[in-house]
Amino acid sequence: MEFIQDLITTLNFILQGLWVTIGVTIVALTVGLLFGVVTAMLRVYGNAFFKRLAAVYSVIVRAVPVIVIIFILYFVIARFVNLSPFWAGSLALGFASGAYQTEIFRGAFQSVPPGQMVAARAIGMSRLQAIQSIIFPQAVRLALPGWGNEATLVLKDSTLVFVVGVPEILRRAQQVSARTLEPFVAYAAALLLYLALTLLTTQILQWLERRYRLQM
Amino acid sequence: MKKLGLLFSALMIVLLTLSACTAVPQTAAPAAGGESAGGQTTGSEAAAPAAEGGKLAAIKAAGKIVVGTSADYAPYESIDENGNFVGFDMDLIRAVGEKLGVEVEIVDMPFDSLIAAVQQGKIDAVIAAMQATAERDQQVDFTIPYRMTKDAFVAAGNSSLVIEKPEDAAGKRIGAQTGTVQEGWIQKNLVETGLTPADQVFSYERADQAALDVASGRIDLLLMDAEPSIALADETGLKILLITELTAEGGKSIAIPDGAADLKAELDRIIQELIDDGTVLKIQEANGLP
Repeated sequence: MEFIQDLITTLNFILQGLWVTIGVTIVALTVGLLFGVVTAMLRVYGNAFFKRLAAVYSVIVRAVPVIVIIFILYFVIARFVNLSPFWAGSLALGFASGAYQTEIFRGAFQSVPPGQMVAARAIGMSRLQAIQSIIFPQAVRLALPGWGNEATLVLKDSTLVFVVGVPEILRRAQQVSARTLEPFVAYAAALLLYLALTLLTTQILQWLERRYRLQM
Repeated sequence: MKKLGLLFSALMIVLLTLSACTAVPQTAAPAAGGESAGGQTTGSEAAAPAAEGGKLAAIKAAGKIVVGTSADYAPYESIDENGNFVGFDMDLIRAVGEKLGVEVEIVDMPFDSLIAAVQQGKIDAVIAAMQATAERDQQVDFTIPYRMTKDAFVAAGNSSLVIEKPEDAAGKRIGAQTGTVQEGWIQKNLVETGLTPADQVFSYERADQAALDVASGRIDLLLMDAEPSIALADETGLKILLITELTAEGGKSIAIPDGAADLKAELDRIIQELIDDGTVLKIQEANGLP
């Protein structure tokens, strides 16, 4: 009984970090989506220069630990642009996620049969029109399962933004653990919250997958 | 599927505006760098227009001092159930803020990020039971110590080890908090002298994690600050083998940006005043420190 009581008190305290975690995750996923879709398009349909540029971004960013990117953005770049810790952390996370999303969307674009592009061009569409109206809608459907996976990863990577002082769920759990010296209760509360968030994310993604499923 | 096409168009527009926005800081960056190249020691704080008047003037102009801490180190700094910063350091910095005549804003960060944050002007000062070591002194400046320190060797409750002087820890599996003076002492006096093999030394992000490993027998000893070790040993059933000044390097000080001479002079004066008028003693008792 005492354990349950402790857990509830702890949850109450950690809950204040819930919105921070949700905020960081949403910003990072959105920024990553923008980077990912555009870079994937450049990698698949761009000219030689853009193809190379997109590949360099994707390879280098995936090679660097996310925590280093957050450090660079907050301690180096934010010297010139006034960025709050929240925005520095979220944008850095999004920039990193963009590289992974590039690969998700590249796979999706390449899975659309090449004949689709040829056919679209044959009926007089420009390349951009063809990508926009024919290729992209099909690619999104193919990208959804992989993207859902990335969404849960970004949710958990959101714990990293604490290095610049953003008090998200895990840091609040650490604060409780340091105060009460009962790490089990503190981390159990954090685990419950992450579990709930992950289940929610998966549900939303599943709904989207059903919504855009091919009707046979 | 038409909706997706629309969504895509919207996405493109957002992206174009975004890339236009990001282009500004990119071109602005070298320009700003060029401007500040003359006096780049302290003037990097974007939100401090009074940079020429010095750090102290900037803080007074802003009406608040932003202080970084790592709130996982009771009784120096921790966060209570209601989310308030409590502890010796927190009470002290509030007293300092009162004397300075400015508001105190406390920011929680990992201990390892604090020095970088004060160097980059993200925070004005650090109060985190931090000791002014020679290595840290090269990166930032320190005020006079507001409290002298001792270290404690902590072992499991049923440990049969006897530590009469720090060197008795030779050869034992020993832990310390990453980046602390204690870890530095272990490296310099036990590892580099060959008394303890390097793989017998364990580094922890936080002292409470190290305490768990001592309790479970994964390490034999933990070297940490003496005062927090009393509460920690009490709550986790550990015992303190030795409290000594030999491993400690002076006292705990407030860290401020390198070269902020005016701020240092003012803080030194205030700290001396608080020590002399008994405020420090009162705060120490209120937080249950010896």
